Amino acid sequence: MSTAVTTSLPRTRRLRGTLADRPVLVLSAVFVLFYLVTGILDPSLFSTGGLRSVLLLACPLALFAAGQTIAFLTGGIDLSVTMTANVAAYVAATQSGAGPLQAITLALVVGAAAGLLNGVGVGVFRVHPLIMTIGMSSVLLGIVSVGLASGGFLTGPAVVPPLLTTLGGGTLVGPVPMNVVVWAGASVVLLLGLVRTGLGRTIYAVGDNPTACRLSGVKVWQVLIATYVIVGILAAVAGLLISGSSGSVGPSQTNSFLLPSIAAAVIGGTSILGGSGGYAGTILGALVLTVLNRLLLTLGAGQAVQQIVYGAIVLTLAWVYVAVSGQRTD
Amino acid sequence: MSTDALLAARGVAKAYGSVVALRSADLTVGAGEAHALLGANGAGKSTFVKALTGVIRRDRGTITMAGEPVELRSPAEGYERGIAAVFQDPALIPDLTVRHNLRLTGTDPGAVRQELAGLGIEGIEIDERVADIPLPFLRMLDLARALVHRPRLLVLDEITAALPADLAEKVFTAMARQTRTGGSVLFISHRLEEVIEHCDMCTVFRDGHDVARFAPQEGREARIVQSMLGDRVEAEVAAERSRRNVADGVTPRLEVEGLSAGDLLRDVSLTVRPGEVVGLVALEGQGQDALFETLAGDRRPRAGSIRVEGRPLTARHPAAAIRRGIALVPADRTLALLPKRSIRENIALPSRARPARWGPISRRREDRSVNRAVERLSIDTRAAAQARRLSGGNQQKLTIGRWLAEGFRTLLLFDPTRGIDIGTKRQIYDLVREIADSGAAVLMYTSELREIELVCDRALVLHRGEIVAELPADAGEEALLNAAHGLHRDEVTTG
Amino acid sequence: MTTPTPQLTTMPAPTSRAARFRQQHGWVVGVAVLLAAMILVRYLQVERFGGFELRALTAGTLMLALLAMAQGVVVLSGGINLAVGALMVLANCFSAWLMEDASVATCLVIALATVVGTAVVSGLMGWLVTVSGMPDIVVTLALHFVFVGVALLILGGPGGGTNPDFSRMVVGGYSDPLPSLLWLVAVFLLVWVPFRRSRAGIATYAVGSDRQAAFLAGIVVARARVQAYVLSGVFAGLAGIATTASLGSGSPQESIALGALLGSVAAVVLGGVALAGGRGGLLGPVLAAFVLTLIPAILLSAGANPNVAVLLEGLIIIGVVMLGGLLELRRRKQ
Repeated sequence: MSTAVTTSLPRTRRLRGTLADRPVLVLSAVFVLFYLVTGILDPSLFSTGGLRSVLLLACPLALFAAGQTIAFLTGGIDLSVTMTANVAAYVAATQSGAGPLQAITLALVVGAAAGLLNGVGVGVFRVHPLIMTIGMSSVLLGIVSVGLASGGFLTGPAVVPPLLTTLGGGTLVGPVPMNVVVWAGASVVLLLGLVRTGLGRTIYAVGDNPTACRLSGVKVWQVLIATYVIVGILAAVAGLLISGSSGSVGPSQTNSFLLPSIAAAVIGGTSILGGSGGYAGTILGALVLTVLNRLLLTLGAGQAVQQIVYGAIVLTLAWVYVAVSGQRTD
Repeated sequence: MSTDALLAARGVAKAYGSVVALRSADLTVGAGEAHALLGANGAGKSTFVKALTGVIRRDRGTITMAGEPVELRSPAEGYERGIAAVFQDPALIPDLTVRHNLRLTGTDPGAVRQELAGLGIEGIEIDERVADIPLPFLRMLDLARALVHRPRLLVLDEITAALPADLAEKVFTAMARQTRTGGSVLFISHRLEEVIEHCDMCTVFRDGHDVARFAPQEGREARIVQSMLGDRVEAEVAAERSRRNVADGVTPRLEVEGLSAGDLLRDVSLTVRPGEVVGLVALEGQGQDALFETLAGDRRPRAGSIRVEGRPLTARHPAAAIRRGIALVPADRTLALLPKRSIRENIALPSRARPARWGPISRRREDRSVNRAVERLSIDTRAAAQARRLSGGNQQKLTIGRWLAEGFRTLLLFDPTRGIDIGTKRQIYDLVREIADSGAAVLMYTSELREIELVCDRALVLHRGEIVAELPADAGEEALLNAAHGLHRDEVTTG
Repeated sequence: MTTPTPQLTTMPAPTSRAARFRQQHGWVVGVAVLLAAMILVRYLQVERFGGFELRALTAGTLMLALLAMAQGVVVLSGGINLAVGALMVLANCFSAWLMEDASVATCLVIALATVVGTAVVSGLMGWLVTVSGMPDIVVTLALHFVFVGVALLILGGPGGGTNPDFSRMVVGGYSDPLPSLLWLVAVFLLVWVPFRRSRAGIATYAVGSDRQAAFLAGIVVARARVQAYVLSGVFAGLAGIATTASLGSGSPQESIALGALLGSVAAVVLGGVALAGGRGGLLGPVLAAFVLTLIPAILLSAGANPNVAVLLEGLIIIGVVMLGGLLELRRRKQ
């Protein structure tokens, strides 16, 4: 059972070795570089307010990307995260009358339920995750539409609970927005969970070789359901934070996060084929992409140029990663 | 048999990054010669063959055919230069029909049919989907396709592995015909008896280069093995096993009655007692795959019963069998290994399977059990970070190590030494005997008949989905093979 | 010549003609039957089921059907093309930009140039996938951004135009269902079917079924994959032209590209093409495209709340896909 590894070019092998083993270092360097360049063009970025604005946007993206990372690790993907986030935000806002804790809990339950359905589709019915989550996305959109129509269950006063406004939009200290606290908590759980818990191990294992897992007694469908439920909850949290920071809910608030969430996980070095990678790289991927967005805005580039550059950079970084690590997909 | 060289390879080398697969290999095949290429796993055989046939590019070295240099970029180019290769995995597209497959390589279906008839193979329909044709016949089809091109050099890369004896005979017939008409054969195999019987010369590889070239009839197995292993090897002695005390009154660990599953397994009954190693012998495709899958809980039986330690077992998932102490080591390592994960994760996999074990991991406890398994099996941990970097032998040991760490009471081994070098094979034989001595029940299917005598206490023979004979371990290869063919049905001796 | 040794190992009985037909075409027949049933329902629903209704169906499905083919050919080769929607939008905007106030002849030339352009661009994308070794999901995703961006550059917002005669030629007048249907059939019969029968077409399936075996059989795998992307670009470009003709303008919107992409994937899966590659054809996805267009129409006419219709559409897609998954599971267990 040998996998052909392409021969790496003979020059600067030690440098490449370091790069291959520690993509986090490369990404940190890229992040700092982008930040500096942007800051030179717009010095306000170096102020507390500037840094805060970057972090404020990076956190929800990092949460969506966290979900993608975990889905990638099992060899899947989740295109319904932004819709889940939307629904969760709506639920919290329309239920805020019953108290913030209840509203938030209900929103999280909704996120978990969406993830549960995804997990059942992927794990039990063996539907390809791309399709299942696309379908789920449609269904969730439909649910929102139905709910928002006259007489629907999402009409009525939609007030974002103050707790969320604080958590989503408030500031902890100086340049650190409150949502970093939420994100930090989630990150610690994720980083430790993936590496130090049995579930984390099985997530990697299922993405690497589901047959081996089955023969070792792992019920793959259980792991997949757990995975997508976690992704759903993360998406719900992200949605809540977004509604908190904007102070309102809207049907397409979260849409712009979908493709970047995938990009962040890819740039961070988690293979879309499963079995390798992790959240640390994704965090930096999210930071890099957020600063990149800011850079493009600062450069006054129109939306068109922004999109083109965004795509080109994602492509370049992904290519660099493949070239350095030598892990081709063919 | 002329002495002019048809194929001359000099100094062929290939490295994958920092891993040197082939240091510098020389090989010469004369015209009209059947030449065997032998070597342990990791010696560089398969890399050499891939470089020769154009599957990969070599780093250094020259290869000439009848004096003219050869630079192949793909196996198809080889056809034009007179080299045709048949690999263990047939180069046939599963979802396409045979006809479309032949169209892809520009091979005339009529000519292929003729070749198949010449080999005495019947039953292959040209509009049948390749996925619906069993592997042994696909190999023969691939062979026929190669023969159509009338190659000067026919390369057979381990195609007799897992091939039923009657089809293997046809391969040898084709080989003989090839050399008789002036062509040559490069024959790669782990089966030394075949090499000795059918090949004129052989070259042995070790550590990435050629170390010996001689006629296999002179020196036979001993000399071959010596060259492969590189040091004086004690003559292979059937293990002196102390008669294991397998008392008759003990409750059998595993009792199977009237088991029927899949297409091929009809009606199997057997028992395995604690402390004994029961060997299973069968030709390819007699139902042994289904038997092991069912015992391991990976497949539901159609009829019959399985009892473990006296209590019935109905498993819908391997987890149920594992809970009853049954462990399966499959032949195909791609089924059992997590290629991108570390040795530790591979070994600890079953211990994390149940949701109850999904919580935080106690590093220290895991260290202990993992290290114990690694030590006991002498697994080479240099490539510890990713299991796919391990050699075949180490990978197999890793699979066994997983169960050593997890614990088991019944061990199912499916052709555990397939494609593994001699050194590791010996280690595995010793390990299996140790395991049985410590009280486990072992059921081992092997395609290498001599392993029965080396490792097992008795042998069951499976034919057409039923157990047709039970023979003592020292019954001899001929008796076993006869029984495996379904001959001498009435010769059933109790062990 | 010595008689060959007796053969003891036997081949299983060959699959019967009927079983083979069911294996290969079963799903497509199912979709065709479903489509026929749905057309029947629609016929019963609508008071005057005539040219207008049919035209709405054929012209309304033309884009999705072509996109389904664009996605299908890459999926058959074992990959996926997340940029088909964006390519369509790009073709749409480019052609609408140029076709404004142009004559019919000029429009035809522009259309041809656009399709050639998208084919080349898509081919380059495929080349990038093979040369870099990156997963195609990543490459096509990144280029999805780029293509939409380029479309935005060309047309700052919805704009452009086309020649009304050209429009009529492609999608027919308000009650003429024939042109759009004929174009679809023509593209299918004149582009896809010859390709599928050719050695290049078989190579596409081979690469999708078992890449390693394809290589060993002598196929230049990279070339086969790039060819699939080129063909994909042709179909996506045609879809863009169809949109230009149908809407009479260009719309450089990300949401359109994303929606088109999702629709193409849904049609491919509903059309019975295995996402793993190597199995299926393009007839299924084309028929599935019609099915997908009919679902909202039928639901709305049945009096469903439009929002409920959207919800039901999603549920139906998931339902069918789960059913497909179940059937695939059962097939594999045998």
